Amino acid sequence: MKKLVFLALVLSLFIVDTSDARKKKKKYEVIDVTNGGSITGTIKAASKVDDPVMKIETKKPDEVEFCGTEFQSNMYIISPDLGVKNVVVALLKVKQGKAMPEKDYVINNLKCQFEPLVGLAFKGNNFVIKNSDALFHNTNLGIQLKGGKKRAVYNLALPNLNQVLKKKIKTKGVHSIKCDAHPWMRAYVYSSDSPYAALTDDSGKFEITDIPAGTYKVLIWHEGFGEVKQEITVEAGQATTLDHTFSK
Amino acid sequence: MRVFKILALFMAIALLLISSPDFISAQDEDAEYDDAAYEALLEKGKEYYNARCEACHGADGDGKGFVDIIRVSEKNGRVLEIYPRDFTVGVYKFRSTATGCLPDDKDLMGTVKRGITKSLMPPQDNISSEETEAVVEYVKSFSERYEEEDPCDQISVADPPVWVASEKSIEKGKKIYKDMKCWECHGDLGKGDGPKSNDITDDWGKRLLPFNFVTGELKRGSTAENVYMTFTAGLDGTGMPSYQDTLNEEDRWHLVSYTLKLMGLTESDKKTASH
Ligand code: HEC
Ligand code: HEC
Repeated sequence: MKKLVFLALVLSLFIVDTSDARKKKKKYEVIDVTNGGSITGTIKAASKVDDPVMKIETKKPDEVEFCGTEFQSNMYIISPDLGVKNVVVALLKVKQGKAMPEKDYVINNLKCQFEPLVGLAFKGNNFVIKNSDALFHNTNLGIQLKGGKKRAVYNLALPNLNQVLKKKIKTKGVHSIKCDAHPWMRAYVYSSDSPYAALTDDSGKFEITDIPAGTYKVLIWHEGFGEVKQEITVEAGQATTLDHTFSK
Repeated sequence: MRVFKILALFMAIALLLISSPDFISAQDEDAEYDDAAYEALLEKGKEYYNARCEACHGADGDGKGFVDIIRVSEKNGRVLEIYPRDFTVGVYKFRSTATGCLPDDKDLMGTVKRGITKSLMPPQDNISSEETEAVVEYVKSFSERYEEEDPCDQISVADPPVWVASEKSIEKGKKIYKDMKCWECHGDLGKGDGPKSNDITDDWGKRLLPFNFVTGELKRGSTAENVYMTFTAGLDGTGMPSYQDTLNEEDRWHLVSYTLKLMGLTESDKKTASH
C-alpha cells in the first residue's frame, strides 16, 4: 500500500510538472482591483529644445500646393516650465489588473500628415485607418525593434478619398508609421497589452490609476529624447510619484 | 483513513490523466523526442546554410555576410542596389499571406528552391525536399518572431480567368492601374520611374527602386499569379503596399492583364516577338 501511495504522489507531482513545461505565455488577466495604487508624475526636459521645422519635397505639382512646403514637426512640445508633451509612460509585462479599454485607434491621413502624431492603442481593439485626402497614401506601420530595426505590421494602400480600413491591433510596443508616397509623414503609436499606459499632456503630466500593488518595470518613451526603463513600486491605495528629466 | 481516501482519489485522477491520449501526447518524453528531431533538422539546415547561404546572409543571419551589397544593372541603365536579407527581424517579401503576417513555410521553400535570380540569389536546383525543409527551419530560427507568432492563413489564388490578357481586360486594367496610383511609384508606362520612385526606402533604411515592368522579370518569378499575389499581399519591408482590402477579385485580374501587357507577356506580344 505504501508503495501505491508513493506512486500516487510521484504521479501527481509529474502532472504539475508537465503543465509547467508547456511554457504557455501568460495572457493578461482581468481582476477586480480594489484599493489599487496610482502613479503620477511630470516628464521634463533639462532645457528648452528647439522644435525643428521639416521640409516637404514632392515631384507632384498638385501636392506642392495641397501639402505645402514645410511644417512644424511638433517633435518637441515643451511648456514654459519644461514639461514635455507626448511622452509615453507604460508599465511593462503586467500580469493582471483592471479591464482593457475598449477603444479603437484612429490613424487619419489628413493634409499630408498623420493625425495624431503620437498616441496610445490597446491590444485587441482595432486600428481604424482613414484617408481624408484626395491623394494616394499608404499606411506602413511597424514595430520598432532593438538596434533601430523595424518589423512590418501592416502596409496598406489607401488610394481612395475617404477610404477607411479596420485592422486588429495584434502587436505590442512602440510602432512607427510612415507613408512611402510622402516620406515626411510620420507618426508613432504605443500599443499596450495592459491598460496601464499614459501619454503626457501639455504640461508634461500623466497619471496611471487602479494598479494592483507590486513592483513594475516602466517604460518612458519620447520620439526625440529616446527611452528609459526603470523600476517602480506601487503600494495599495497610495499615489507613487514618477518624475523624469530628459536631456539631449 | 481519510488521508488514504484522498490519496486514492489523487491516484485515480493521475491514472485517468495518464491513460487519456491527450495527456500522453503532452508528456515530457514525447516532447524530448520532438525536440531531438527538431535539433537534428536544425543541425542539417545549418550545414546547408553555412555552405550555400552564409556568404551573403551571414553566419548570424543578419545579412552581413561576405557579399554585403549586390548591384544589378537594368537595360535602361538603372542600377538596383540590393542587400542580402537580414533574417533576424523575420520580415519577408514573397508571401502568400496577408501584410504583416509571417510567410507560409511553402513560400520560403519556394523562394529557396527557385532563388531570387533577379537579386542574384542563386536557385538550389539539386536540393532535396528534406534539405529545403531543414534550411528553411534554420533560417526561421534566426528570428524570435517565430516564438511569438504563427503564420496566417494563405491567400488562395484561383486559376487566372480565361479573359486575362484579352484586349478588353487590358483596357480595364489600364484604368485600374491609374486609379490605384500604381503609376505614382511604377511610372505611367511601368518603367519604375513614377514621381515617387526616388523617395522610397525599405525598412532597413536603404533606398529601394520600384519595379520596372518593362524588364518583364519579377523577383518572385514572372507569372500572372505572382503579379496578383504581389499587389494583394504587398511586399512587407518595402514600400509596396497591400491592396487586399481595396480591389475585388475581378479588378485584380484586369490589373494583372494590364501588367502582363506592360511586361510584354501577353499572347499577342509573344506572337509579334517571334515574327
Ligand atoms: C549571392 C548572395 C545570396 C546567396 C548565396 C543566398 N541569398 Fe538569399 N537573398 C539574397 C538577396 C540579395 C536577398 C534579398 C532579395 C531582395 O529583396 O530583392 C535574399 C533574400 C532571401 C530570402 C527572403 C525572401 C523574401 O521573401 O523576402 C530568403 C528566405 C533567402 N534569401 C534564403 C536564402 C537561402 C536559404 C540561401 C541558401 C540556400 C540563400 N538565400 C542564399 C542573396 C543571397
Ligand atoms: C508607394 C509606392 C508603390 C506603389 C503605390 C505600388 N508599388 Fe509596386 N512596388 C513598389 C516597390 C518599391 C517595389 C520593389 C520592391 C522590391 O524590389 O523589393 C514594387 C514592386 C512591385 C512588383 C514586382 C514584384 C517582384 O517580385 O519583383 C510588382 C508586380 C508591383 N510592384 C505591382 C504594383 C501594382 C500593380 C501596383 C498598383 C496596384 C503597385 N505595385 C503600387 C512600390 C509601389
